[in-house]
Amino acid sequence: MPLSRRTERRGGGTAIEDQIVRITSRLVAPFIQVYGIYVILHGHLSPGGSFSGGAIFGASLVLVALSFNLETGAKQISHQLASGLESGGAFGFILTGLIAIAIGGNFLANRAAGFPMGQAGELFSAGAILIITVFVGIKVASTIVTLFYTIIEGEE
Amino acid sequence: MGIADHFPALIVVVLFAAAFLSPLLYRYAEKISAPFVIASLLLSLLMSIALLVQVQQFGPVFYHMGGWPPPWGIEFSADPIRVYILIVVTAVSLWIFLYALRDLKHELKKEVIGWYYTLYSILVGSMAGIALTNDLFNLFVLMEICAISACAIISIKEDRECLEASFKYLILSAMGTGCFLLGVAMIYMATGYLNYSFIQAALAEAIVHYPLNIFTAAALFIVAFGTKAALFPLHVWLPDAHASAPTPSSAMLSGLVIKIYAFALFLMFYHVFPRGMLTTIPLNEIILWMAALGTMFGSVYAMIQTDLKKMLAFSSIGQISYIFMGIGFHHDLALVGAFYHIMVHAITKALLFMTAGVIIYSTGVRKISDLAGIGRILPLTMLAFTIGSASMVGIPGTGGLISKWYLALSALEIGRPLFVLVILASSLLNAIYYMPIVINAFMHQEDFIHEVRPVPRYMLASLIVGMFFVIVTGFFSRPVVTLLEQAAILLF
Repeated sequence: MPLSRRTERRGGGTAIEDQIVRITSRLVAPFIQVYGIYVILHGHLSPGGSFSGGAIFGASLVLVALSFNLETGAKQISHQLASGLESGGAFGFILTGLIAIAIGGNFLANRAAGFPMGQAGELFSAGAILIITVFVGIKVASTIVTLFYTIIEGEE
Repeated sequence: MGIADHFPALIVVVLFAAAFLSPLLYRYAEKISAPFVIASLLLSLLMSIALLVQVQQFGPVFYHMGGWPPPWGIEFSADPIRVYILIVVTAVSLWIFLYALRDLKHELKKEVIGWYYTLYSILVGSMAGIALTNDLFNLFVLMEICAISACAIISIKEDRECLEASFKYLILSAMGTGCFLLGVAMIYMATGYLNYSFIQAALAEAIVHYPLNIFTAAALFIVAFGTKAALFPLHVWLPDAHASAPTPSSAMLSGLVIKIYAFALFLMFYHVFPRGMLTTIPLNEIILWMAALGTMFGSVYAMIQTDLKKMLAFSSIGQISYIFMGIGFHHDLALVGAFYHIMVHAITKALLFMTAGVIIYSTGVRKISDLAGIGRILPLTMLAFTIGSASMVGIPGTGGLISKWYLALSALEIGRPLFVLVILASSLLNAIYYMPIVINAFMHQEDFIHEVRPVPRYMLASLIVGMFFVIVTGFFSRPVVTLLEQAAILLF
């Protein structure tokens, strides 16, 4: 089996199917994703956070779609699901703020509303901040994927 | 705490939540997506009205996001003027949305309509936020949201003109935001605060030590809000953007978006800068002359246009200048006039853009010279156009007269009759370009030659609502004027 070959694409132009790139990216992608999740979850403890972590996670999905093709990428996360998650992530942020009102604080209140604070420095601490970080991480990761799909599909 | 205490935050939050959910709803439950947006707009309108009642009974309301008190946390504040603007924004955008329901199907591709709902709700939410926020950096963020969603509701039509116009708008408005951010930095340097009330208190002393910082900030703010609100020499982006956009977007942009920035400049002048500053350095004078030139040149440019929507766009430059003039007079009656004009012009210009939209929908005609004789084909539409034009000119019985009346009155009170002449002259200029269209539409001898499609009832109903409010603001101005007078007197 040749390591690399060119194939005709549907819309004209050629695609390069490179085994080295494919195997490497398939190997690396899970590690990138775990690192992305790590950065998101430690948003309240260490540098980084939802935006950087979400971007790392989204980049791994884009990497797979780039080194294979759009169909393989869509098997991981489809355009529909990505834009659904995008809306859901943003709405989750608002929902966290509204829950704060429901349990007796101001909008987006954290300790004042009674979110559990936990031990400072541990992973599950800082109440609403951790929840919001996760939602924003989902939002950023899916936004990057959606942007990628939109640009790719815009070509056709 | 009852739920009513959270209204200042909830008004904005409801709109943003609707924005995030509507693409999902449009995909999976298309039938309820539009009613859902209508419900959220209606809900925020009702909450704004409840907030007005609350503010009038118990005085200004302050809301601390997340329970963090200022100067650390973000503060929303609601006083009668802010809530008045809030009600204008939510009510007019609800009305425009009802019109948009039918018009969008005609102007946009089907799959982007869900995104249009999102952008529309975000735009309204950010304007509500600008009216309520009491924090400079929060204002900056909301201005960015507002500018980006405003650009997007122009470019969503995806034809060449729209893309070019929205790109121009994006660049100039980014320059405006950049100036604003630089101004905020100057103020932060001198005072160390971002909250309006804290800045105002601190500036009274800081202005002695850092006069240049504060003056530079003032200049930057005038440029920033002048660009965004299309004050005369900074208006270059407006005509293309407002004329090429889909009709509901034009109505929103001309009716509300440029005014919210004029209001933001008012907030800077009266709630951020210390009270003595406006009288010691001639900030008002600069605004006043730019506005006076704007009323003239806006009308002159409008006169030479051949495209109906472009003419309406240029007319907005003249009309926004009245609002700036009201801010520039530095007098309570002038502020009453300016704020009344914000409402009147929002209703009138939205109505005029809607009639333009109906004409384009029904006949495809955009050129002013082709409109001759159209009054017999579309009588109700042209009646709406006539009433809208009358309000633009300021004919008694329409809202346009009331605001011009208060502006002229305050020009006499502060002893500058020259500006009464400016207002009169610009009204005449307005008449020169609006009235021939009306006269031609009804009196033209020959028949209208273009093909005519029947107009949907939704659109006609929106026009009737618009006409109704233009006349109501003309005859029953007392309650609103009383509200504004009471609020304006406290500022001096």
